[in-house]
Amino acid sequence: MKGFFSSALARGLFWQLIGTLVGAGIVTGIRPLMGLNALDTFFFTEPAWVLGGFFGALFFLGGSGVVSDWYKWARGIDTPEHHEDHHTGAAKYINVSLDHKVIGIQYTITALVLIGIGGLFALIFRTELASSQLQFLTTDMKLFNQNGPQLYNTLMSLHGMIMIVSILLGTAGFINYVVPLLLGAQDMAFPRLNAFSFWIAVPAAVLLLMSLFLGGFDTGWTGYPPLSARAPVGMQMFFLGVFVAGWSSILGSLNVIVTVLRMRAKGMTAWRLPILVWAALATALIALTATQLIGLSFQLVMFQRLFGMGFFDPAKGGNPVLFQHLFWFYSHPAVYVFILPGLGVISELLPVFVRKPLFGYRWIAMSSLGIALVGFVVWAHHMYTSGMNEYLRLPFMYSTLLVAIPTGVKFFSWVATIWKGKISTPTPMLFVLGGIVVFLLGGLSGPPNATVSTDLQLQDTYWIVGHFHDTIFGGFVFPFFAAIYYWFPKATGRRMNETLGKIHFWLMTPSFFVLSLGMMYVGLLGMRRRIVDYDPALGIDNAHFILTIAAFLIALSVIIFLYNFFNSIKNGEKAEGNLWNSRSPEWQVPSPMPAHNYEQPFEVVGEPYDYGLNDGGFVKFVEPAKSKKH
Amino acid sequence: MAHSQNKSSDLGQGVVIFVYLTVLTILEYFVAVSFNATSLLIVVAVIKAALVMYYYMHIYKLNETDESDENSYEYKTGTNRIGLWLFLLSDAFVFAGLLVMRSNLLGLTRPHLNQVLGLGVTAVLLISSFFMNRGETAMKHGDIKGFMNNTIITFVLGLGFLLGVVLVEWRLAAHEGLVASFGNPTVGPLGGVFYMMTGMHAFHVFTGLIFLGVVWNNARKGVYTAEKHYPVEAAAVYWHFVDLVWIFFYPALYLIGTAVQ
Amino acid sequence: MAHFVIVGILVIVMTVLTYLGLDAAGLAKQMHPVAASAQAAPIDQLWHWEIIVISFLLSLIVVPMIYSLVVFRQKKGEMKDGEHFEGNTNLEIAWTVVPLITVVIFAYLGAYSLGEVRRVDPNAMVVNVKAQQFSWTFEYPEYGFITTELYLPVDRQVVLKMEAVDVIHSFWVPEFRVKQDVVPGRITEYRITPSLEGSYKVRCAELCGTSHAYMEAPVVIVSSEDYADWTVAQIKIAEESKTPDGQGKLLATKNGCIGCHSADGSAMTGPTWFGLYGSDVKLADGSTVVADDAFIAESILEPTVKIVEGFPPVMPPYALSDEEISYLIAYIKTLK
Ligand code: HEA
Ligand code: HEA
Ligand code: HEC
Ligand code: CUA
Ligand SMILES: [Cu+2]
Repeated sequence: MKGFFSSALARGLFWQLIGTLVGAGIVTGIRPLMGLNALDTFFFTEPAWVLGGFFGALFFLGGSGVVSDWYKWARGIDTPEHHEDHHTGAAKYINVSLDHKVIGIQYTITALVLIGIGGLFALIFRTELASSQLQFLTTDMKLFNQNGPQLYNTLMSLHGMIMIVSILLGTAGFINYVVPLLLGAQDMAFPRLNAFSFWIAVPAAVLLLMSLFLGGFDTGWTGYPPLSARAPVGMQMFFLGVFVAGWSSILGSLNVIVTVLRMRAKGMTAWRLPILVWAALATALIALTATQLIGLSFQLVMFQRLFGMGFFDPAKGGNPVLFQHLFWFYSHPAVYVFILPGLGVISELLPVFVRKPLFGYRWIAMSSLGIALVGFVVWAHHMYTSGMNEYLRLPFMYSTLLVAIPTGVKFFSWVATIWKGKISTPTPMLFVLGGIVVFLLGGLSGPPNATVSTDLQLQDTYWIVGHFHDTIFGGFVFPFFAAIYYWFPKATGRRMNETLGKIHFWLMTPSFFVLSLGMMYVGLLGMRRRIVDYDPALGIDNAHFILTIAAFLIALSVIIFLYNFFNSIKNGEKAEGNLWNSRSPEWQVPSPMPAHNYEQPFEVVGEPYDYGLNDGGFVKFVEPAKSKKH
Repeated sequence: MAHSQNKSSDLGQGVVIFVYLTVLTILEYFVAVSFNATSLLIVVAVIKAALVMYYYMHIYKLNETDESDENSYEYKTGTNRIGLWLFLLSDAFVFAGLLVMRSNLLGLTRPHLNQVLGLGVTAVLLISSFFMNRGETAMKHGDIKGFMNNTIITFVLGLGFLLGVVLVEWRLAAHEGLVASFGNPTVGPLGGVFYMMTGMHAFHVFTGLIFLGVVWNNARKGVYTAEKHYPVEAAAVYWHFVDLVWIFFYPALYLIGTAVQ
Repeated sequence: MAHFVIVGILVIVMTVLTYLGLDAAGLAKQMHPVAASAQAAPIDQLWHWEIIVISFLLSLIVVPMIYSLVVFRQKKGEMKDGEHFEGNTNLEIAWTVVPLITVVIFAYLGAYSLGEVRRVDPNAMVVNVKAQQFSWTFEYPEYGFITTELYLPVDRQVVLKMEAVDVIHSFWVPEFRVKQDVVPGRITEYRITPSLEGSYKVRCAELCGTSHAYMEAPVVIVSSEDYADWTVAQIKIAEESKTPDGQGKLLATKNGCIGCHSADGSAMTGPTWFGLYGSDVKLADGSTVVADDAFIAESILEPTVKIVEGFPPVMPPYALSDEEISYLIAYIKTLK
């Protein structure tokens, strides 16, 4: 416990608290200067909360110590390029580390915690939805200054955004851990920036959760004004939290791109990059650029609330639909940020478990870029009914349909990879296969949304909810679990329990099919999104009840996973060698990896996925080259 | 001519580019006051931006990386350059978003602003970029003193721009009624757009000033040499980027369309 | 080769089974619920084609996967690699081009279907719709009355000119298949030709706040004769409500007060008006006021000044004239 209180995490949180008070204090102090009475309102007014929240995040960063090296640089003091961690064991993970492997694990664990919290919220509101009428989220109940339906909206909205943040962190987790290893790099290109990107996500998560206690917000994760311009203060904390989390994502992707461009081992040309690296690169391109637009759109609403600027307020000449354009310019490409890394994991693991080369490697690599690029020009398919210019609906329908093609290339190539392979199905492979099927269902439910006239019916129904839970689970959740089961031995030197892993899979997959297909089903019967209560006349009470049960079963399977995860760190079966018999460089050396990754550098001498060929392998380790300079 | 090794010709190049930029800015101004030519203004802005990106920000240096040794300063500098440019690319999306907002909400109208002041602050920022370039060139040739002097001039001009916008322009605009709670039902969100755009830009100027202060101070301490001064280059590129943004914001706020009271 | 034949057959079998399964659930040939507008036909048609393609593509991927899993499985203890086979450019091109063609066809069908849905009838009747938290009101400009139910004659195109007062709402009658957001500050159009008599509901489909789930209003499709009768009755009601309290009731409807205040004592977003007039109202700051004319007027003009205990301060201020307020008070007085 003593260790905890002196950790960077604890210091950061402490300073975040102080920062919040300081920020709020400054605003409260300014009020009398502007001739307002400081005492007539409660200490925390809305501007006070906003500046407080902002200062809180800044103070967190200062307090946790991630910026101290930069501060030294600014004063002209050089710092060593690589510190060894002076913490060991669990303490390493709650302190600032510059090692990409530690950071990757920090990301992963934070993502798991957030999935837990977001999932918990889902369980709460799913329980309410189990039958029509209000069960416990009634208009009479009051919690955090919200009555039942308001609380429902807050929980539902936070569920959406917390899950999305957890995806961003989860993908960053395995990308951070694996990509430098695949490239043969000692670390990411900018280790300090890497640590910064992770640590800034922590105060962001705190801000997001704070919104629950500050009156909540009832806009969904999309935060459309004018509704969001009227919501309680919680809205501001939500905006701020997403804004800060966005920076984590932007800076993290910057690092990934530079790492891929500059830190490759000798001989690793474009067409010999492991496929996951291609996926990470495509993802990073989107996250680097588009993320700014969600930050901007949220910032504009924040300013509209704080200063009365009329950007989205029609009464002041603003345009509410403009917000939607700015928002979806990020949030559509973002859905490909969620899945591309996951699809990369699928492509990376399939050849290992079918013992065959990845079919059409180049096509798969290019399809990631294709999805990313086309993804930039389809955003308005979320706005077919929004009242935007009518004629815009057609070009956006065409571009949206086009995304099916590169995605299809992936599917067909996967099938061809599996075809006639020598397939084995340990837990990671199960999740890969599950992911493919689930994502297929999600993807195929996309085109009906993309064609305008059918979307006029489907929009804002549970059909859409089913569509994106399928794509997200297939493109992120399943591959994420696959990646954890697969690389866990690399990180810890032990493997997770197979039996529990299989139970996890066989409990989660059918339950999830029930959940997502059930969502689509009730959606077609007329169930709208984002409602706390539905009309019993729709006749979907029973279906909803089953959905709720399925949700709890998924939660149970996740709890089994969490137990397996934490238990195996200490008690798992030892697995130090090339457990999966992979060609990938990280498996050619003993686990866990030393701090500076490879003792000897390697050169690329073959193709990454040439299974079934008795060549010299993908990489060959060489004596460290003598530095020419220095 | 961009790859010259000779100090005086490097400096001379800076002057030539400065003259081009000045002429284009004046042209832009007179075009705007005499007739309505939005597309011409966009073309001029793009030309100015290209000049700045190539000659002041040295975008071609992204190609000039020493691939020989991963641990050399040159290699790391190459890596840092890519990082910085990616950051600028990302940041550019914020400003692009603001321009989209502006054109959506205001279309071919613009706030009623003081033209002389607008041209004045634009000139100040442009001149500061000129001195920034001189400073960086000086450093490249090992002239620390020259770097420090030019950087001080840049800093003062930059501060002048910042204060000109925040203290003078914002007040004048407020007198024009642009603040009237930022969105005045009769004229629309002119004020909101104006304050948001200038404010976001001013924030970047402010961070640029801090950056300049830091490298100036470190140069004083003797941290940089002619061979190793990447932070100086980064500060300069960032400063020019801030100028680059203004190349688009200035016409967007002051020149395009008709002014609305 | 035998493998391909078996898989091919299985794909077809599974496609057919998937399709039949969906059809048995009533989801293939049309979307749910029953179609009650002319616009539903092209939409359901497009949906049907999509379901067919989806059934096929699902089988096309899943069947070979499962087949391989079963047939080409690594036997126990076996540690063999598969056949070395890196790719096939022709195949790759094929599965790029064939989906491309499919997609182009669907782009065409989609555009065609949208064109059908948007087909304009110049004789369409117009109804003005106003949406606000959390109620719908319908104004019939031809006759000049305002209602809270949407009555429409069958087989005649209607254009709803919709505007929101506060936040974004969305007009959706599932049986009509079409949905359109209602946005403050602009008028959006919703064009529909009802084709099946019956009672339906418009359900707000865009999250608009606490009571979004309950923002529904009846939609009734009747024969043109019944519709004519109904309009006559409505005009009569409008005539009769020329009294102050009648006017007040109208104002309460028109301004959407009834979205938050009930007339019968039931709980909604705001306090009920039943028995309000003259009663003692407890305020959030602990004090009590008598609900007289002045208090009610203030509550309408500046609702945030005195907040009723137990209610959130969400009521927007209304700039109503003194006369209008007096009508509203007259109406509230009648609610006992
Ligand atoms: C992981 C995230 C993810 C992914 C990958 C996708 C993928 C796709 N999505 Fe989805 N989508 C979301 C997450 C995602 N979506 C979310 C979160 C929302 C709701 C947001 C909100 O409002 O809250 C949403 C909403 C959404 C809408 C708006 C619905 C509405 O609100 O009205 C639309 C409309 O076009 C759409 C379309 C598509 C399409 C066409 C794809 C395509 O990329 C799918 C492509 C894949 C395939 C088609 C399958 C495989 C292909 C083949 C086998 C080849 C052959 C195929 C054909 C010839 C068709 N999505
Ligand atoms: C990663 C993305 C993700 C994931 C994984 C999920 C997972 C789940 N979601 Fe999803 N959901 C979204 C993203 C996601 N969701 C988004 C973006 C929205 C849109 C929001 C909006 O409209 O604005 C949405 C909306 C949404 C709705 C629609 C709400 C509405 O419109 O009113 C529903 C309804 O059933 C739902 C249900 C579920 C369920 C039952 C799960 C289950 O899978 C959850 C299972 C449970 C767990 C995984 C937790 C298990 C762990 C524990 C219980 C232990 C706790 C431990 C700790 C705290 C450490 N979600
Ligand atoms: C968005 C919901 C909403 C709408 C629309 C609305 N009100 Fe209210 N109203 C409330 C709430 C909540 C309260 C209680 C809190 C308060 O006093 O502000 C309230 C309080 C009142 C009161 C105070 C006395 C009482 O106990 O009822 C009056 C009178 C009143 N409203 C009249 C109106 C009139 C008249 C209109 C329409 C012109 C209207 N309201 C529209 C939500 C609403
Ligand atoms: Cu109105 Cu939802
Ligand atoms: Cu999308």
